[in-house]
Amino acid sequence: MLITILAALTLLGIPLLTAGIALLTERPVQPVRVRPLNSDSDAKAGLITFVLWAILTGAGVAAVLVVDFYSVIGSDRGQEIADAFRFLTALAVPVGALVVSVIVYSMLRRGSAGDLPPDGPAFDGRGAFPRLWLGVTAALTLLVMIYPGLWTLNDVIKKHDHPDLVIEVAAMQWTWLMEYPDYGLKNQTEIVIPVDKKVTFNITSRDVVHSFWVPAFLMKVDAIPGHTTSISLVADDLGDYSDEPLYRLQCAELCGLSHANMRVPVRVVTNEEFDDWVAQKSAAAR
Amino acid sequence: MAVAVARQQTFGLSAFGSVFRGLTNAAAGFALAVLGVAIVRWLSGHDGWDFDQALIFGYIFGLIGWLMGVGLWSRWAKEWFGLETTPDSRTPDRYFAFTTDHKVIGVQYLVTFLTLFMLAGAMAMLIRLHLITPEGAVFSEAEYNRVMSMHGIIMVAVAVASVIGGLGNYMVPLLIGSDDMAFPRLNALSFWLVPPVAVLLLSAQAFGGWDSGWTSYPPLSTTNATGQLFFCLAIITFGLSSILGGLNFLITIIFMRAPGMSWTRIPIFVWAIFAASWLALTFTQFFAAAMFMVILDRVAGTAFFRADAGGDPLLYQHVFWFYSHPAVYIFVLPGFGITLEILAHFSRKPLFAYKWAVGGLMGIVMIAGLVWAHHMFVSGMSNNLLAPFLIVTEIISIPTGLIFLSALGTIWMGRLWLKPPMLFALAVIFNFMIGGVTGIHLADVPTDISLSDTYFVVAHFHYTIIGGEIFALFGAIYYWFPKITGKMYDEGLAVVHFWLMFIGFNVAFLPMFWAGFDGMNRRVAAYTDNLADLNAFISAASFVLGASFLFFLANMAISLLSGEKAEANPWHARTLEWQTTSPPPIENFASTPVVVAGAYDYGSPSAQPHAMFSPAGASDDAGS
Repeated sequence: MLITILAALTLLGIPLLTAGIALLTERPVQPVRVRPLNSDSDAKAGLITFVLWAILTGAGVAAVLVVDFYSVIGSDRGQEIADAFRFLTALAVPVGALVVSVIVYSMLRRGSAGDLPPDGPAFDGRGAFPRLWLGVTAALTLLVMIYPGLWTLNDVIKKHDHPDLVIEVAAMQWTWLMEYPDYGLKNQTEIVIPVDKKVTFNITSRDVVHSFWVPAFLMKVDAIPGHTTSISLVADDLGDYSDEPLYRLQCAELCGLSHANMRVPVRVVTNEEFDDWVAQKSAAAR
Repeated sequence: MAVAVARQQTFGLSAFGSVFRGLTNAAAGFALAVLGVAIVRWLSGHDGWDFDQALIFGYIFGLIGWLMGVGLWSRWAKEWFGLETTPDSRTPDRYFAFTTDHKVIGVQYLVTFLTLFMLAGAMAMLIRLHLITPEGAVFSEAEYNRVMSMHGIIMVAVAVASVIGGLGNYMVPLLIGSDDMAFPRLNALSFWLVPPVAVLLLSAQAFGGWDSGWTSYPPLSTTNATGQLFFCLAIITFGLSSILGGLNFLITIIFMRAPGMSWTRIPIFVWAIFAASWLALTFTQFFAAAMFMVILDRVAGTAFFRADAGGDPLLYQHVFWFYSHPAVYIFVLPGFGITLEILAHFSRKPLFAYKWAVGGLMGIVMIAGLVWAHHMFVSGMSNNLLAPFLIVTEIISIPTGLIFLSALGTIWMGRLWLKPPMLFALAVIFNFMIGGVTGIHLADVPTDISLSDTYFVVAHFHYTIIGGEIFALFGAIYYWFPKITGKMYDEGLAVVHFWLMFIGFNVAFLPMFWAGFDGMNRRVAAYTDNLADLNAFISAASFVLGASFLFFLANMAISLLSGEKAEANPWHARTLEWQTTSPPPIENFASTPVVVAGAYDYGSPSAQPHAMFSPAGASDDAGS
């Protein structure tokens, strides 16, 4: 970790700080190289910017399709969320690339820090272009509203009609207590669920507002005194907190002193392991 | 800044006279109220002492004493009783007094909030130092929560008031060709309400502080340490200041414009302040109301937010976000205004699609009050609210897109003059692009369910607030510094500040999006070991960001002491503030400007100047 800090400081900080100190001690300075003003024609400017945009967009979209943003996706709902995230990010790339390519082209080809440059062309945007822009942004907005917005919304939040397992979760400063009513288990301080089964968590709080978050499942909902909230999901991969820290139940809403450490382990196990765990816990309770 | 502007004149300890009177009157008011509370309690059969009640009433009367002592009485309230008021001071001590010149008030705001910015920035540095190791390197959990909460609210206050209160006050009357704000004494009152806010937030730390963040959700905020009460009182006071300021700007912009300054000729920064002022006037009271209910739950036994007594913690979140979402537009709209302003003057081109940009600003104002519950997608509110708030929130990107249309169209084919203000303005477009597109991920309920309350959100809102407003703030300071102080600054240092800040900011905050994916939640004093390297990297980059401000401070100090004298119009800009001396005289313009052409008519050799100056003493009626 120390190496990371040193590397980061060396990469960024030290050259810049040195430059700054050099400038402080050696004045007057000409901070930015003066470039001759460029006079690209409209067509050439458009072409350069378009090529820049196309390269950035191509590379960006390719990266978005390859990179796994979420390192662990351990539930069916989480998969929908990750897909939605990838779609939105891919859509954001051309938008961001437009902004970047216009700025980069304008700064590098048409910028100068020297004397006052002559005025630019006096077009002021009263033509059709703003309408076109409005149309395109409105269409994009409508698209993201429909997909992934409304399209996936219900899939992610809907409750299981007939869950295989119900777990009652109580949050309190600063821990979690789980109850498995079907098995008569109470006051468990870990979540153990069988893989590929429909699980519903019913969540409430005994004191302040907390938030039920299992990063590996990508699912989250607040725990509120006086309310019962719920999360339904199918965990479709095995997982264990002891080798993957994202398998944990973490409080995500600031709840006072030990908020950061208000976490308990989560395990997704096979059906047999789950039965063994229930038997063992039931025996311990007797 | 204050000292240097008129440093030729004598300046001694007596300058603090009104502040001192304010403090003694505040102490007297406080003591009187505490005694009163004790007497009432004793007469009604309680024992004589209750800290919370004494604090609240002591504060109210202490605040009145402070305002009266600092000048509200001698310069304003006396005339309500037919007495002679003291005229405004013309000596440098007016920077420490209740005074009506909008330029002095602008400098008071700017210096106060830059100081608070540096203070809360130092807290951010400590927070990043703490987070270098997974278990935390500096603070205990309790200390971390308190420092993080204080960093949050002070930065929110800076975001609300630094641009509007500082640059808005100084520049709006100049930009519209007025000699002052519509209500100069109300303006002074708005400013002098601010010091008690800072005092409350800092002195809260002597009473346990508060550990509930700037959002202060109950029941945590109704059961934690007494410092929470200080927080609530501070918010109510600051809210009052903000509301009065918003009202003043609206009336000023509507009624105080110079002849010929029609609505389609006012500079875009003025439109942005106009838009933000509507929001401040309309929504701030909801935050105050939420705080008032928290106070009542704490000291008067009400049960607004107590589930076991019929209340509901979710009620608070609705009322709170009903202000606090529009608040983010109060932060960023003035930032947009500055950015477009600088882009036009430094691209030497007309502001592209001016009316569309105004439509964007006012469009955001119209929708601002309808999107609050997108902060509550995982709060457990009714599922029926998810789809409507998803739809309305996504719509916000349409007016925001018009701001980008104007920005990109303005620089397109311009001759960019890459002076420090321009670098900051270009950075705003880049930064806010990242803040904007990640906002789409958070407006979409499914993705928000995974990202809400994680470092993804931390990265997103720092990109919008630092990236969109604070960069614009520093751009504006470099733009208007010559006008405000009459001095030029060192351009080399400003450029170093810019690149350190831009690179440090992006390298620190981009990885925070990944911390969010990898299971780092907000507001944590400790995190799991898998995030150690990422956090160490973020901390290192954030120190570069922090170091950039040392160059800013050095530049300000050097320039104030030994900067070259600034010309009236060093940037050759068309707007009105540059058509008077640097710094401007007390009455702003030697004679009344008559506006005859647009503010951004660059590139047309035949264009008339923005304004002609009529002979002194001519009518200064407002424009159409």
